[in-house]
Amino acid sequence: MRRRQGTSALAFLWRQSLPSLLSIALALLVCFLAIALSKSDFAVAADAYLQMLWGGLGDLPTFFATGNWALLTRAWGESATKAALLTFTGLAVSVPFCVGLFNIGAQGQLTVGAIVAAVIGAKLRAPPEVHPVLAVVGAAVAGALYALLPAVLKLRRGVHEVISTIMLNWVAVSLVENWLVVGPLRATASGDLSRSGTDEILQTAELPRILGSLSRLNAGFVLALVATLGVWFWLKRTSHGFEARAVGLGMEAALTAGIDVRERVYRAMALAGALAGTAGAVWVLGTEYKFPATVGAPYGFDGIAISLIGQNHPFGVCAAALFFGVLRAGGTRMQLLGVHKSFPELIQGLALLFVAGRLVWERFLGSAAKPRAAPIETTHA
Amino acid sequence: MLEVIEAILFSTLDYAPALIFAALGAVLSERAGVVNIGVEGMMRIGAFAAAVAALVLPTGIAAGAGMLAGAALASIHAYLSIRWRSDQVISGMALNLVALAGITFLLETRFSPSGTPAILQLQRWRLGSLAAVPVLRVLSGHSVMTYLALVIPILFHGLLFRTPAGLRLRAVGEKPIAAATLGISVAIVRYAAVIGGGLLAGLGGAVLSISTLDRFEQHMPAGLGFIALAAMVFGRWTPLGAFGAAAFFAGGNALRIGLASSAPQVLQIVPQGFLLALPYLLTLLVLTAQGTKSRAPAALGVPFETESR
Repeated sequence: MRRRQGTSALAFLWRQSLPSLLSIALALLVCFLAIALSKSDFAVAADAYLQMLWGGLGDLPTFFATGNWALLTRAWGESATKAALLTFTGLAVSVPFCVGLFNIGAQGQLTVGAIVAAVIGAKLRAPPEVHPVLAVVGAAVAGALYALLPAVLKLRRGVHEVISTIMLNWVAVSLVENWLVVGPLRATASGDLSRSGTDEILQTAELPRILGSLSRLNAGFVLALVATLGVWFWLKRTSHGFEARAVGLGMEAALTAGIDVRERVYRAMALAGALAGTAGAVWVLGTEYKFPATVGAPYGFDGIAISLIGQNHPFGVCAAALFFGVLRAGGTRMQLLGVHKSFPELIQGLALLFVAGRLVWERFLGSAAKPRAAPIETTHA
Repeated sequence: MLEVIEAILFSTLDYAPALIFAALGAVLSERAGVVNIGVEGMMRIGAFAAAVAALVLPTGIAAGAGMLAGAALASIHAYLSIRWRSDQVISGMALNLVALAGITFLLETRFSPSGTPAILQLQRWRLGSLAAVPVLRVLSGHSVMTYLALVIPILFHGLLFRTPAGLRLRAVGEKPIAAATLGISVAIVRYAAVIGGGLLAGLGGAVLSISTLDRFEQHMPAGLGFIALAAMVFGRWTPLGAFGAAAFFAGGNALRIGLASSAPQVLQIVPQGFLLALPYLLTLLVLTAQGTKSRAPAALGVPFETESR
C-alpha cells in the first residue's frame, strides 16, 4: 500500500490501523453489553471493565492514594508476560502470511518448543548464563523443524498448509500431552506426592526476572520486543525480506523475477516455527517452570487473532499483543464480579471476527478508508 | 472375545454420530467451495444450545435448537465469506474463538463453570428382534441419532451425485464461473450449503450433549470438530467417504478407550498418545500420498466475483 501524496506518516498510520481499532472498539462494546445484559446491570459491566483495566495496568487509584509501586509493577509483569507469548505466536502467524502461507500450526509448534525447553531445562546442567539460552535455542530449533514439515508437504506434495498445520497441531498435542508428559517424561514422584506434568526445570534455566522480586516480569518480554524489531528489520529492510514479501504478493511473478520461492517459503516457515517454539520456551522457563499436564491456553490460536488484528505488521502485532496482554492479565480480576477470566478472549475473538468482516466497515467508512482487497489470499494448491 | 468386540462396536455406534454429522456438514460446505474451519465452533454452540433447550423442551426438539444455533453461526460465516468475500479461513477461525470464549462466558454466568445441569437424555431404542442375534445386537439400544447417522450419509451421497441439485452444488464448488453462466446463482447455492453445513455441525454438537452425554460440559467438543475436518479430507470430500472415515476414527477411539479399561498392558506398548494422534497422522499420510491429485473441490476457498468472469 503506497503512501498517498500529501499525507503525513501519521495519517497513513491512522488509516492503516483504523479498521483494527474500530474492530476492537466494537468488540469491547458488544462484550460490555453482554455483561450488562447477563447481569441486568450496567454498573456491574462498567465496574467489570474498570477491574479489567486496573488488573492489567495496575490499580492506579490505589497507587495514587498510597504510592505503592508494587501495585503497578506486579500487574505490569502479568500483562507483559502474557503480551510476550501473544507477540511470539502473533509473529509466528504473520511471518508466513508474508509469503502467502496461513500458519494455523503455531499451537503445535509452541507445544513442541515447550516440551523441548522443559527437557533441556530439567535434564541439562549448565551455568545460569547459558542454560536459558540453550533451552530457548533448543525450543526454537524444534519449533522450526516442526513448522518446516507443512512447508515441505506443501511445496513437494501440494498439501494445503491449512489442513496440514491443523493436523500437526493435534499430532503434537496428542504425542506430547498424552504420551511424553504422562509417560517417559513424567515427573518423578517425591514421597507420596504424585505430580502432574514433567519435572521442574533447574533454577539455572529460569528466565531472569527483570524487576527482581517486584514483579514476575521476565526476560521473555524483552526477547519478544527484540523479536518484533528483528522480524520488522528482516521483512522491511533487507532484500531477503523484500523477496519474501514478493513471494507472498504473487508467487508466479516472484518466480519470473528469479526469486527462489521455495527457499523463501522454507525460511519464513522455519522462522515462524522458531518464534512459536520460543513462545513455548518462554512459557515454560518464565511462568510454569515445567511442562504442566496440558498447555491449556490456546496461545497458538490466539496468535491468529493477534496477527490479523495487528494487520500482519510486526509492530501492529506487538501493539495488539500488548493490548490484549493487558486485557487478559486484567481478566483474572473480573472474576471478582462473577465474569469468567477468559472473557478477554471473547473480546479478542470478536475483534478478529470484525477484522475478518472489515470490508463491511470500509463500506460504511466511505472515503476514510477505501475498500481494499483482503491482504491474504489463501490459494488452495 | 466376542463380548469385547461387541462392546467396542457398541460404543463406536454411540460415539460416531457426532463425528459423522459434523464431517458431513464440512463436506456440504466445502463441496460448494467454502472452507469450513468453523465446524468446531458450530459444534460447540450446537451442543450448548441443545443442552440448554432440553432444560425446558422435550429433548427431541432440543436437537433442533442445536441445529439452529449451528446454522446461525454458519450464516455469519456465509455472510462474511460470500457477500463480503472475506478470507474463509480467518472467518472460520474467528468463529471458533468466539464460540469457545462466548460459550464459556454464557456457561459461567447462567450455570456452573463445569457444565449445565443434567437433562433427560435422548431415548434409546430397543430393537427387540435383534437383541438375540450375536454381533448384530450391538445395533440395538442407541438413540435415534445413531440410526440417522447411518442413513443420512447414504441419502446425502445420492443427493450429491445423483440429482440435479447435487450437480449444481458440485459445479459451484469446482467451477463457479461455468455454473454461473448456466444461470445458477453461485451465492444462493453457497449460502444454502454453508448454512446446511451449520445445521449438520450443530446437530453433531447436539448429539454430544443430549445423546452421548446428558449435559453440556465445558470442554465440548474438545477438538472433535477438527477430527471431523480430518474425516472430510480422509474421505476425499464425499459423504460416504467422510462417513467411513468418521466411523473409522470413532472405532479407533472406542478401541483406545476399551483397551485402557480392559487391557491396559497393550497401552504400555502402544501409548495412548499414539492412538490419539493416529487419525491426524493417517490424514496427513493420505494427503501426502495423493499429492497434487487431491480431490479437494477446485474452487475451494476462492471467493466468487461475478465481475471477474
